[in-house]
Amino acid sequence: MDENKELWEKILGEIELEVSKANYLTLFKRTTLLSCQDGVLTIAAPSVMIIDLLQRRFYDVIKKSVDKNIGEESKIVFVPKTTIAEDKTKDAGPLFEHEEKTESYVGHLPRVRPDYTFGNLAVSSSNQLAYVSATTVAKKPGTAYNPLFIYGPTGVGKTHLMQAIANEIYQKDSSKKIIYTTSEEFTNEVVDAIRTNSTAQMKKRFRNAGVLIIDDIQFVAGKEKVQEELFHTFNILVDNGSQIVLSSDRPPSEIKKVEKRLLSRFSGGLTVDIDTPDFELRTAITLIKAKKYGFDLSIDVAKTIAEKEQDARSLEGALLRVMTEAEAKGVSMDSALVLSVLDNGTEVKKPFHPDDIINNICAYYKIKPTQIKSSKRDASLVRARQVAMYVLKKDLDLTYVEIGNILGGRDHTTVMYGVEKVEKMVETNGFSQEILGIKNFDGGKLAEY
Amino acid sequence: MIVSFLTENLRGKISFLNHAVSGNSQLEILSNFLLNASKGKLTISATDLEIGISSSIPANVEEEGETTVPAKTFFDLINNITEEKITLETKGQNLELKGKKIRMTFQTMPAEDFPKLYTDKGEEIATLKKETLVKEFNRVVFAASQDSGRPALSGVLIKKEGGGFLIVATDGYRLSLKNNVLLKTKKGEGAEQLLLSARAIRELISIKQDEEIVLNVSGKNNQAIFTQGETVLVGRLIEAEYPNYEKIIPSGFDTKAEFDRDEMQRAVKICSVFARETANIVKFSLKKDKVVVSANSPSVGEDTVEVEAKISGEENEIAFNGRYLLDFFANTEEESVVFEMSGPLGAGVFKASGDNSFLHLIMPIRVQG
Repeated sequence: MDENKELWEKILGEIELEVSKANYLTLFKRTTLLSCQDGVLTIAAPSVMIIDLLQRRFYDVIKKSVDKNIGEESKIVFVPKTTIAEDKTKDAGPLFEHEEKTESYVGHLPRVRPDYTFGNLAVSSSNQLAYVSATTVAKKPGTAYNPLFIYGPTGVGKTHLMQAIANEIYQKDSSKKIIYTTSEEFTNEVVDAIRTNSTAQMKKRFRNAGVLIIDDIQFVAGKEKVQEELFHTFNILVDNGSQIVLSSDRPPSEIKKVEKRLLSRFSGGLTVDIDTPDFELRTAITLIKAKKYGFDLSIDVAKTIAEKEQDARSLEGALLRVMTEAEAKGVSMDSALVLSVLDNGTEVKKPFHPDDIINNICAYYKIKPTQIKSSKRDASLVRARQVAMYVLKKDLDLTYVEIGNILGGRDHTTVMYGVEKVEKMVETNGFSQEILGIKNFDGGKLAEY
Repeated sequence: MIVSFLTENLRGKISFLNHAVSGNSQLEILSNFLLNASKGKLTISATDLEIGISSSIPANVEEEGETTVPAKTFFDLINNITEEKITLETKGQNLELKGKKIRMTFQTMPAEDFPKLYTDKGEEIATLKKETLVKEFNRVVFAASQDSGRPALSGVLIKKEGGGFLIVATDGYRLSLKNNVLLKTKKGEGAEQLLLSARAIRELISIKQDEEIVLNVSGKNNQAIFTQGETVLVGRLIEAEYPNYEKIIPSGFDTKAEFDRDEMQRAVKICSVFARETANIVKFSLKKDKVVVSANSPSVGEDTVEVEAKISGEENEIAFNGRYLLDFFANTEEESVVFEMSGPLGAGVFKASGDNSFLHLIMPIRVQG
C-alpha cells in the first residue's frame, strides 16, 4: 500500500510539471493508485467525468511517466472510487454520540474546579469538624447551619472544602442556582454595577441564589458600600432559606473594619476553624497530590516531604520540584533526593533583617516601630514587643543582648523573660496560629488596612 | 454546427442546467456549457465533475456539430433576449448567435475538452413520480450534511423496507426519516439499499418538469442516473457506511405537544430575531396547555411567544438551535405537528399529526438555568 502511494506520488510529481495547474488540481490531485501488478496500474478517481477527461486527454502523459518509473510497458485502468484521506464519518455528530453519554456528569460550575470534591479531600483531626459541617451543609443546604463560616490560615484546604460543597450540591440538583465567588470578585461586581448603573441586575443575581459561597471574606474590610450590599443580600438569602458559606483567614471577631451588624451575622450560624495540617495529614495530602499527577509515591518519601513543608500549597510545590528533579536526572525518587532538592530550595529564602521583622510585627499589631522601641508599657505594646523578641530569637538566633539593643536598649533579662513567656503561650494552639500569621504576614498587604 | 430553436424552450431549462456549472473551478472548461446539435435536438450539458445535468430541446438542425460556450454569459443572455427564435452557428473558433434584431459572437472552447457525463446507464431499478419526489424527499433531504469530509452524512439513504422504501438523511445534529415511500421497482431486482448524494437529489427536485423519473444505477461506474423526459441528471453513489440511525430514535417520551405548524413557525421566527447573538438558542417551555417559545440576548433583550398546544405528560423544557427548527418547518407541509420529548438532553422528535411514517429529530442545546 505504502509502496503504491510512494510510486504514485512520484509519478504525480512528474505529471504536475507537464500539465497546467488547473488540470492538475481538479483532475489529478484526488486520484490514488490502488494496485500495480504486472504492468497494470489501477487508478481510482472520484467520478466518471474525471476519468473520461483523464483517459481522453492525459492518457499519454500518464503512461509516459508510468513507463519511465516502472521500467516497462504499462497499461492503465481507471475506476471510479472516492478515496478520502480522512473519512470523518466515524464521528457522526452529537446526535449519535448521545446514547452513551446521557448519564455522565454534565458540565461544571463557573469558577469551581470539578476536581475539588469531598472524595479527594484528606481528613484528619485538624479539619475533621470543618469537613463534617461542610458535608452536612451540602446534604441539607439552607437548613443545617446557615451561614457556615470556615476560617483558618492559608493552604489548609478552605477553598477545597467550599468548592466541594458547590460541586456536591450541583451534582445532586443541577437546577439549583449556585454562585461561587471571592470577596474580591464580589467587590468588583458591586463597583461595576454602580459604575454602569446596573445595580438592580446585580442585586437580582445575588439575591436569587440558592447557594452563595464567598471565599476570603476578610477582604471586604473597609469597603462600606460592599458591606452594605453584602448585608442586605445576606438577610434576603437567609430569609429565603438559601445556604451561605463564607471563608476567612481569621474568626469573625478578629476581622477589622467590618461593621458590627455584618460581623454578628457572620457568626450567626456555625463557625468552624481548620488548623494547619498535622504531620499525618500532610503525608496523606502529599500522597493524594502525587496520585493526581499520576505518580506512585512511597510513603517514606511522602513523610520526608511532609516534614519539610507546612501547608498544603507548599507541599504541592515541593512535590513538583522533587518530581521534576527526579525526571530530569533520571533517578528514582527517594528520601535522599527529597532532602537534597528541598534543602536547596529553602536556602534561597532570603534572610530577614531584624528591622523587617519588627516592621512586620508592628504592621500586624498596628503600632509604630518607634512605639515598640519606646519605654511605654501599654498592654498592647508589651505583647507586640514580646512577640518580636520571640521571633528574633527563634528565626534569626540573635543573642538576648543584641535583641535588647534592637528593641530600644532593653536589659537582656527582660528579653529572656519575654521569649519564655511567648514560648509558653505558643504551646496553646491559638497563639501559635497568631505567630504563624505574623510570620506569613506580608508587609505589602498593608495597603489593605 | 447550425441550429435554430425557440428561445422559450431553452429558457425553461437553462436555470437548472446552470446549477451544475462549477462556480469556482480552476478548470475553465467546467465553466462552459456543452452544446450539441444532432438528430433534430439541441442538447445542453453542464458538470462540475460531482454532478452533471444535460437536457435537450427540439431544434431545427441544419448542420450537426458541437461546441462549448461560457456558461455565465450564455445564461445571462438567454434570460434577457426577447427574440422568439434564435440561430446558433459556429464560425471557426467562435459561435454566432443570431436573432431578427440581434447578433453576437462568443469565444468557444473545443467540445472534446468537455467530460462525458456518463458512459453507460447501468440497469434501471425504479421509477418515481415527481409529486412523490417533491413531497417525500423534500422533507428528508434538507437534513443531510453539506460537508464533503463526511461522505456518508452528505448522502440520502434509500432502503427497501416492508412493501415500500425508507429514506433517511442526517447531518449529525438532526435527522429526517420517511417510511413507506412508494417507488415502482422492477420486480426482485436492484440493491437492498442505496446511498445517493443529497446534492443530486436537491438538484433533481429543482428541475421544473413533471414527467416520471427513471432511476438507473451503474455499480461499475459508481453512478446514479436520473432520467426525466429529455433531461438526465448524473450523481454519485456514495461508498460509505451509514451511521446506525435506528438506535438513536427514541422509543418513548415524557411530554407530548400538538400544535399548529404555522403558528409555531411564526413564534420561532420572532424568537430567532432575539436569538441571533446567542447561537440561535430558542427555548421551548411545555406548560399545561401551551408551549412558551422564548429567546434572549443580553444586549438586545428577550421575548416570549405563547403557542396554544395540546399537551400530555409532565411540564418540560428544552432548547434548540432555532435555525434547525425553521429548516424543519419550512420543509414540511402538515397543518398540525406533534412534538415529543423526554428531558432537556434527549433528542426532540417532530412528527406529522396522524402520520407515523415521518419523523424529524433535533439534538437539543444544553442551557444552564
